[in-house]
Amino acid sequence: MSQFLQPTILLLREGTDTSQGRAQIVSNINAVQAVADVVKSTLGPRGMDKMIQTGPKVTISNDGATILNLLEVVHPAARVLVDIAKSQDDEVGDGTTSTTLLAAELLKEAKPFIEEGIHPQIVIQGYRKALELALEKLEGFSINISKDSIESKRDTLIKCAQTALNSKLLANTKQFFSELVVSAVEKLDPNILDRDLIGIKNVTGGNITDSFLVDGVAFKKTFSYAGFEQQPKRFENPKICLLNLELELKSEKENAEIRIEKPEEYQSIVDAEWALIYEKLEIIVKAGAQIVLSKLPIGDLATQYFADRNIFCAGRVAQEDLLRVQKATGGQVQTTVNGLNPETFGTCGLFEEVQVGAERYNLFKNCPQSRTATIVLRGGAEQFIQEAERSLNDAIMIVRRCFKANKIVAGGGAIELEISRFLRHYARSVTGKTQYIVNSFAKALEVIPRTIAENAGLNSIEIMNKLRQKHAQGGEEGRWYGVDINGASGVCDTHQSFVWEPTLVKRNALCSATEAACAILSIDETVKNPKSDQDTKMKPKGQPGRPPMGMRR
Amino acid sequence: MSLAFDDYGRPYIILRDQGQKKRMKGLEAYKSNILAAKAIANTLQSSLGPKGMDKMLVSPDGDVSVTNDGATIVEKMEIQHPTAKLLVELSQSQDAEIGDGTTGVVVLAGKLLEQALTLLDKGIHPLKISDGFDRACDVAIKHLEQIAEEIDIQANDHEALIQAACTALGSKVVSKRKRELGKIAVTAVLDVADLTRKDVNLDLIKIQTKTGGSVEDTRLISGILIDKDMSHPQMQKEVTDAKICLLTCPFEPPKPKTKHNINISNAEDYNKLYQQEQQYFIDMVKLVKNSGANIALCQWGFDDEANHLLLQNDLPAVRWVSGTDVELIAMATGARIIPRFQEITPEKLGKAGSIKEVQFGTSNERMLVIENCQCTKAVTILIRGGSQMIVDEAKRSIHDAICVIRNLIKDNRIVYGGGSAELACALQVLQYADEVSSVEQYAVRSFADALEGIPSCLADNCGLNPITSVAQAKSRQLSEKNPRIGIDCMDLGTTDMKEQRIYETLSSKKQQIQLATQVVKMILKIDDVIAPDDY
Repeated sequence: MSQFLQPTILLLREGTDTSQGRAQIVSNINAVQAVADVVKSTLGPRGMDKMIQTGPKVTISNDGATILNLLEVVHPAARVLVDIAKSQDDEVGDGTTSTTLLAAELLKEAKPFIEEGIHPQIVIQGYRKALELALEKLEGFSINISKDSIESKRDTLIKCAQTALNSKLLANTKQFFSELVVSAVEKLDPNILDRDLIGIKNVTGGNITDSFLVDGVAFKKTFSYAGFEQQPKRFENPKICLLNLELELKSEKENAEIRIEKPEEYQSIVDAEWALIYEKLEIIVKAGAQIVLSKLPIGDLATQYFADRNIFCAGRVAQEDLLRVQKATGGQVQTTVNGLNPETFGTCGLFEEVQVGAERYNLFKNCPQSRTATIVLRGGAEQFIQEAERSLNDAIMIVRRCFKANKIVAGGGAIELEISRFLRHYARSVTGKTQYIVNSFAKALEVIPRTIAENAGLNSIEIMNKLRQKHAQGGEEGRWYGVDINGASGVCDTHQSFVWEPTLVKRNALCSATEAACAILSIDETVKNPKSDQDTKMKPKGQPGRPPMGMRR
Repeated sequence: MSLAFDDYGRPYIILRDQGQKKRMKGLEAYKSNILAAKAIANTLQSSLGPKGMDKMLVSPDGDVSVTNDGATIVEKMEIQHPTAKLLVELSQSQDAEIGDGTTGVVVLAGKLLEQALTLLDKGIHPLKISDGFDRACDVAIKHLEQIAEEIDIQANDHEALIQAACTALGSKVVSKRKRELGKIAVTAVLDVADLTRKDVNLDLIKIQTKTGGSVEDTRLISGILIDKDMSHPQMQKEVTDAKICLLTCPFEPPKPKTKHNINISNAEDYNKLYQQEQQYFIDMVKLVKNSGANIALCQWGFDDEANHLLLQNDLPAVRWVSGTDVELIAMATGARIIPRFQEITPEKLGKAGSIKEVQFGTSNERMLVIENCQCTKAVTILIRGGSQMIVDEAKRSIHDAICVIRNLIKDNRIVYGGGSAELACALQVLQYADEVSSVEQYAVRSFADALEGIPSCLADNCGLNPITSVAQAKSRQLSEKNPRIGIDCMDLGTTDMKEQRIYETLSSKKQQIQLATQVVKMILKIDDVIAPDDY
């Protein structure tokens, strides 16, 4: 040991944790495995849920991105996984678990190479090459549906939504929900497909199949003042006035002060204030509005004023709801009542206040310009509905993507195996180390069907062998063989059993998983500053084998 | 969570506060979840049925409540465990949707989980179990719809409704008076019900409680009761042919909302101001009086000066009436709410047959009763009882009864209680089980066993031998093909629930089975629990 001869050179602050070299890469890879292990069992139609308690809040989820987010991962390398899951969620909305698993598997395959001394950059190069080929093949294999007729396209969309819902709590009612989701997405403007215009409202109570779709907008009854119950609760073809204006008797300006010199002036000030609010109300009534919605409060005075004139009003409508009402009814949100004219009013076929469970809901149905839809979700427990909402969100994203991209592949691990077969085949034609690496990439892809089979309680080795054999036969015949969780043999043509996914999901998953793996492989040193790490105090005391500062292993 | 070490002996810190997090996986997770949920179900089990026992719950501030209502018990237990909380929500959502059967739903979920535990021990995949439960649930629901009977709610002076209300009240502390209370509940609901739309707005039924007297003194007021008294003790206590002026502005000089100062520089101005204030009061009272109103109800307070003037002008008045009461009164009397004195017109006044101040017992508390309102769209049930606890429990019981009646108005199909519907479903499910060829068969069969748990629990609570009585009922159901055979909890000598007239709504039963299955499925799907390790 050399430290007796040379004085230690302290370069960094005491307590700084540095690690570098090959050991660091291996250590990072292990950390990533640990994280991927957590989400592993959620993959596939027989995937399980995780229950995570953070403070008083309990979340039950099957969604990879949600789970990883709630785990509060602090390990710097493992955080990369969280980030790719999140980006997959943002970009595609589904396939977060498979992305995470794939990245972890790629790293696992790379581990022996690193340990044997192959330079990480070579591995990275090999992976990039393999990815390039895989993507090319993915495009080649995918089935274009854009030429199909509208009905069969709708059918395809429903199939895709069903695949997304397969692994979720809603699996048993997937037929019902996939149709719901597709109908909701079809309502949107096909050119933009703005996700924000599909609202999901949760109401506890009732059975899950009591959920329904409103071709328009629905929102919960807002806080109301006395007099609200005297307003009519049902209109046909109403004129809807949307405001961003407070309708309340109040001081016109904050912090304004008036000085009254004579007692006689007192009444005039009071009258003036009343006149202000009455003037606003009068304009609205004169313009012929029948429903008044405002983002800001509508006070008791205004509520009663409207009630007297058979007008429905709701104040404190949430921004997103108001926006949806605007889109659906074709109205425009006004910030002042001056110059209010009937052209700015929206309309809808039917407005109604209805009781849903314990809540009352305002429904705007049959909107003329309906570019919005609202799904009202029912279910037994709060967590149940929340998970249902996340699942529907995935399905909506998938359908949206599919709507645009028009290309699908078969799921159930079929496409992964097909690409894997192709890469193995290709690898044989390469010389040099890359051969091993491309082969590893191919092997890593098999993690998806293998995990699906494992989670379903099937014999994964047997099934993998069957699948490899089917695919090896090549051609159209064996191309779409994937894991079948219901049948006796364990394998089936997933294209025929309608396990369909948009190509885009797979494409994005492959890209981000490979990118993440490459990023982690290229890190060879971590410098962890003790101050920036909040958890220093949490670290268990007296770690064995922790090298003292400034000494290298 | 335990720490992992890498090849060089350094620990991984992957998650924040990793050392302080607890993680349970696989079978351990299922079992701990199931046990927690079962613990709740076991607590409620003894509250089921007409001979069910009550629970006494003491809140952190020492408030005591005694209840038999499932939703209330689990809510007040302040449960911490995340899985057990799911059952709490289950009970509450049954409460929100149906209002009755909150105990039954939790007990059923508990029974299902118990069955799932044995299946897990056999090594069946949890998702296969939940698939099986799901299929069995569908079968049970279909069968329920088959055995359900439509009843004529109007026949025989709404006798069927009263019976259904009695069934709901039968398990409560007020069961001795169930017929009277049932009638009150039925009348109340029918008064506010919109029979053409089949809709009942429960907000229009106000349940007011007052300790003292006994449960028999509970009565229905076809109008509104408000817990307020006249603003001045000398005002007249009774107004007949009342013309009500509903105000949402105080009997005070109006104040501009803008911040203001009044600068008074000399005595003359001061006097003027004083006079002006006086004038305001006089004007206000005059405006009310001139409109023809003979009583004023105000959401806000009165200045003493105004109060005195009102008395002088012989105009009874009530102050600080809450916003919801104002709204109810407006609906019932056809009044319009008036935001300021200048707008009082005779058309805006509400009309009621009489308004009187009533006093209860020897206590000095008084209440106002508004009766014979112009458009009786709101009613009040005044509940009396020996102690606060009894009154509170009676209130919850009547709420349950009201919900049952509302559900019957919405959907007039019923099934028979006393565990007979569950038994019938169990038999049907059992028959279906043999048709299932895969592993789910076991789960389907267990579902039937769980359904049988309800009648057996009922029998147990009544001091009958659960096994014998369930077995008897089952065999009679089969041999007589009569799905109405249940458990004779009240010892009336017949097990035919049609003769006993134990009615339960179809919607409530359906909902119970569906919700319980749903939550059990959710609990079975969790294979991993990550929680802070502090309990």
